[in-house]
Amino acid sequence: MRCRKVRLTIDAYVSAGLGPRDRTAVEEHLEACDGCRQAATVARRLVALGQALPTPPVPEGFAERVMTLARRRIARPAPAAPSWSLAAWWRMASAPVRAAAAAVLVIGLASGVLMGWSTWQAQAAPPTQTAVQPDPLASYNVGYLTDAPEGSLAQTYLALVSSAQEGK
Amino acid sequence: MLAVAQGDLDAFDQIVLRHQELAWRIALRFLGDRHEAEDVAQEAFLRILDAASRYKPTAAFSTYLSRVVTRLCLDHARKKHPATTDSLPAVQDNNPSAAEQMAVLDRDRTIRAALDGLPPAQRMVVVLRYFEGLDCRSVASAMDTTVKAVERLLARARDTLQPLLAELSEK
Repeated sequence: MRCRKVRLTIDAYVSAGLGPRDRTAVEEHLEACDGCRQAATVARRLVALGQALPTPPVPEGFAERVMTLARRRIARPAPAAPSWSLAAWWRMASAPVRAAAAAVLVIGLASGVLMGWSTWQAQAAPPTQTAVQPDPLASYNVGYLTDAPEGSLAQTYLALVSSAQEGK
Repeated sequence: MLAVAQGDLDAFDQIVLRHQELAWRIALRFLGDRHEAEDVAQEAFLRILDAASRYKPTAAFSTYLSRVVTRLCLDHARKKHPATTDSLPAVQDNNPSAAEQMAVLDRDRTIRAALDGLPPAQRMVVVLRYFEGLDCRSVASAMDTTVKAVERLLARARDTLQPLLAELSEK
């Protein structure tokens, strides 16, 4: 067992709250680790200190004062409160419930953003070109050069013109 | 509490008498000031009275009360950084010598100063775990957090309080 885990479970060990297997693992670790043995000693001494401290007596008349305030509060008309409020629910909810609610919210928001993103991308994509490309040679009115022999200057010129048009 | 929810103040009086010591003890050990501790303990009971109609007996009432007091103490600490104030009350032994009383007062002052030096969450776990004797699960319930979080807070608090124990040993 590593020091980090031992330090976290030291209180349970000191108060005999560990199961037999964990207890044995902690004891084996403590035999070999000065730092953790010191931490266990500190925990034991804090427990002993807490038990040795006196119980402070309740101030005289405390209960009477509470009841006086309670009667005043009962007599005071209560303000109209909403039957349910999100803030009150959040305060009353336990930590696991809060975590679950937050996770549901994050997942819902992320799903909405992803769906919106894919819809936006589909709308932003340019339409595919289906129009028939015009003959590049026709725009230059150089059709008479098509009869020129291969490798001639005219054919080279035609090739250049054609590639320029297709490149636009 | 079911009777209190029906408006039975006598039942509420019984609850206060039975549990006032717990509320007072946690508040005083955490805050260190008698007046502030009494205010917080009183407010805890009044909050419980206000919420009586919503109370569900899913755990022991002492656990519920501990949770309310804990929350009020932590809120109080966040609003106001506590200075070292009253020490913990000394034990009134049958025949305490002056020297013994001074030693006890000195010890209490040392403990109080050490507690006040801890961040509020660490201070609360120390109070609940070592002074109230709650196990980690009960501390986690009172602080509305997880056992792992409590263990981490206790580990940090122990490291901070180690010099305190050394100082107390020397005295």
